[in-house]
Amino acid sequence: MLKYIRQYAETISGIEIYPMISLLIFVLFFIAVLYYVKKMDKKYVDEVSNLPLEDDGATDEKNPFQNLKHA
Amino acid sequence: MQLEKFSYDNKIVRNFAIATIVWGVVGMLVGLWVAFQLVFPKELNLQPYFNFGRLRPLHTNAVIFAFVGNGIFMGVYYSLQRLLKTRMASDLLGKIHFWGWQLIIVAAAITLPLGITTSKEYAELEWPIDIAIAVIWVVFGWNMFATILKRRERHLYVAIWFYIATFVTVAVLHIVNSFELPISFLKSYSWYAGVQDALVQWWYGHNAVAFFLTTPYLGLMYYFMPKAANRPVFSYRLSIIHFWALIFIYIWAGPHHLLYTSLPNWAQSLGIVFSFTLIFPSWGGMINGLLTLRGAWDKVREDVILKFMVVAVTAYGMSTFEGPMLSLKTINAISHFTDWTIAHVHVGGLGWNGMLTFGILYWLIPRIFNTQLYSKRLANIHFWIGTLGILFYAVPMYWAGFTQASMWKQFTETGQLKYQFLETVTYLKPFLATRGFGGALFLAGAIIMMYNLFMTIKQGKLVANEEAEAPALEKVYHKHGSEHWHRWIERKPVQFLVLSLVVILIGGIVEMVPTFLVKSNIPTIASVKPYTPLELQGRDIYVREGCYLCHSQMIRPFRSETERYGEYSKAGEFVYDHPFQWGSKRTGPDLQREGTGNNKKSDLWHFNHMDDPQAISPGSIMPSYSFMIDKNLDTSTTAAKIRAMQTLGVPYEKGYDQIANMELMEQASRIAGNLAKDSVNVPANREIIAIIAYLQRLGTDIEKGKIAENQ
Repeated sequence: MLKYIRQYAETISGIEIYPMISLLIFVLFFIAVLYYVKKMDKKYVDEVSNLPLEDDGATDEKNPFQNLKHA
Repeated sequence: MQLEKFSYDNKIVRNFAIATIVWGVVGMLVGLWVAFQLVFPKELNLQPYFNFGRLRPLHTNAVIFAFVGNGIFMGVYYSLQRLLKTRMASDLLGKIHFWGWQLIIVAAAITLPLGITTSKEYAELEWPIDIAIAVIWVVFGWNMFATILKRRERHLYVAIWFYIATFVTVAVLHIVNSFELPISFLKSYSWYAGVQDALVQWWYGHNAVAFFLTTPYLGLMYYFMPKAANRPVFSYRLSIIHFWALIFIYIWAGPHHLLYTSLPNWAQSLGIVFSFTLIFPSWGGMINGLLTLRGAWDKVREDVILKFMVVAVTAYGMSTFEGPMLSLKTINAISHFTDWTIAHVHVGGLGWNGMLTFGILYWLIPRIFNTQLYSKRLANIHFWIGTLGILFYAVPMYWAGFTQASMWKQFTETGQLKYQFLETVTYLKPFLATRGFGGALFLAGAIIMMYNLFMTIKQGKLVANEEAEAPALEKVYHKHGSEHWHRWIERKPVQFLVLSLVVILIGGIVEMVPTFLVKSNIPTIASVKPYTPLELQGRDIYVREGCYLCHSQMIRPFRSETERYGEYSKAGEFVYDHPFQWGSKRTGPDLQREGTGNNKKSDLWHFNHMDDPQAISPGSIMPSYSFMIDKNLDTSTTAAKIRAMQTLGVPYEKGYDQIANMELMEQASRIAGNLAKDSVNVPANREIIAIIAYLQRLGTDIEKGKIAENQ
């Protein structure tokens, strides 16, 4: 078994840093996203998160089956 | 600001909704059938068209691409128009998309029972249908992007991000995995071989789960859950992190389907690390979904739609907890190849996709038909028997998987394997039956829903064009330079598409390029030779019948496996395998060394076993393949197949295609002669001879190598 594993290790030089590089890419990317999210404007966030509720406004709390009011 | 008047297209939403319901019931019905085929193999396998191996791909394709696929389109067409405050860009493209997709489904439903398959799981459809899928997918993407570009709402809500990522990634996955060389109108060979083919397939297979069953449905969750609960999503910021982390990490996770196989170790490790990390974004998403109901939990008690959604999101949480665990090597060593995997995917499939689809349907149908749901009581009944169905399905399968794995691994005190493979199968029958019962409950729920929604549709009237109004998008002049406003907003979604493409490509490239470029990455074994023409034909029959769905050809380096099946598998053994046949489930034993060592059987044994498996192995749940005894082998394709293999790099000598059929008949006559010695008279030109030749070949290359080494 060892013979085969060694064979892989020999044929791609420096393969062991692959997982490290990928992890690094991800961590950097993740930090960038965190930073972006952190500096987002609160007003903007509220506005956007309410988008799904804007389009009709007919959803009644008591009766989710209530009809849409069609114009 | 002047309001512009326009209308939403509800007709296309209705069409996809009806398709979702109908194909859902059909797909589940086929699932129920295959489930009970394992309990009543003699009664329910109707060879050749309705044997397990041909029907299981029909089940998976139907529920994934027909049920969930139409569900995606239904939800996207409904939510996209409203989130962007505009009608879909083109009614015609919508129609082409709808009918094209249904035609593809019909083509799948016809070709799969006919045995026309590439044998790549969830990508079984042959090349002309692959092309059709690509075209229709582009039509969908085009229509979506054109709609985004003419929107009246500047901000792209997070649901739309998920839709865009779905479109881009599925396109990439489908194209890369479908590289195949056609040899006739309905037959092709995978461009990749062995280890590479396996890596590409499971990169695809896993990401089909990720980008077809998960990301679009997360988009739907982010739209329909706030709708149903009438409150905004818990944290929009969290949803952004959820999105980027999820699509970045998911694409790397494929190799966890190949742990302990001949896939290079570094690729396996990469797969494990990323699979494990996946738990964080997945749970971020689940928590975001559940906490959307903060302060509204009292509603969940009354509102059946929220009940469906809560179970869906909970199932998402359970399966995304389980997934990372299953990708740990220690756990995978137990779960892989058993019913544990089946339980896992059905918690996701029935729970997450099924229940969310039902919730959306109950919410959406009354709205576009301007009426109320026909019966809340029936919807509640559906909810309860659906949920019970999931439990009755999953619990016995977990139990079965865990039990079978430990039976496989047990040794007696004297060091012999404690159980024959067949013993572990017959032990499972009660579990398989209970699972079937769970499936029947779930299907019954879906049929009740079909009736309920049909009555709802009947009492209402479709609002085909729903009037709406919204202000036009404000013109924004870019301060830098003379760029016009529309360039500025157009750029965002397009940039978005490009960025998500880059993000998903990183993972795929890092994993695959080394395996492709470095030839020595797949160590060649001198004694491994191409298949003879008869074996090649036999192999294609093996592919056609879907044998890989129950039999693996991949011996993992465990004592319990090498004792049972022989030497563990080496990457170099598969270099001529277009496509690979490693399999993913052992309903029957591994076959990689079927023609050698302890596994070696006579031609007569194989003949009788294919004819009537239960007569040779009492209690076996394998279907009969007696039709192969009467069916002539189609040798008109031999030359074309040899030439195709040559194109793919298999070292047949030049001009071999011309003499291939001659050699084929020689070998066939030898096998027929063997059988005749045992008083079985069967003409040499029958399919059974070819499949016997293939089975007898399996594993012999390595054996020959050993003999040569010893000399």
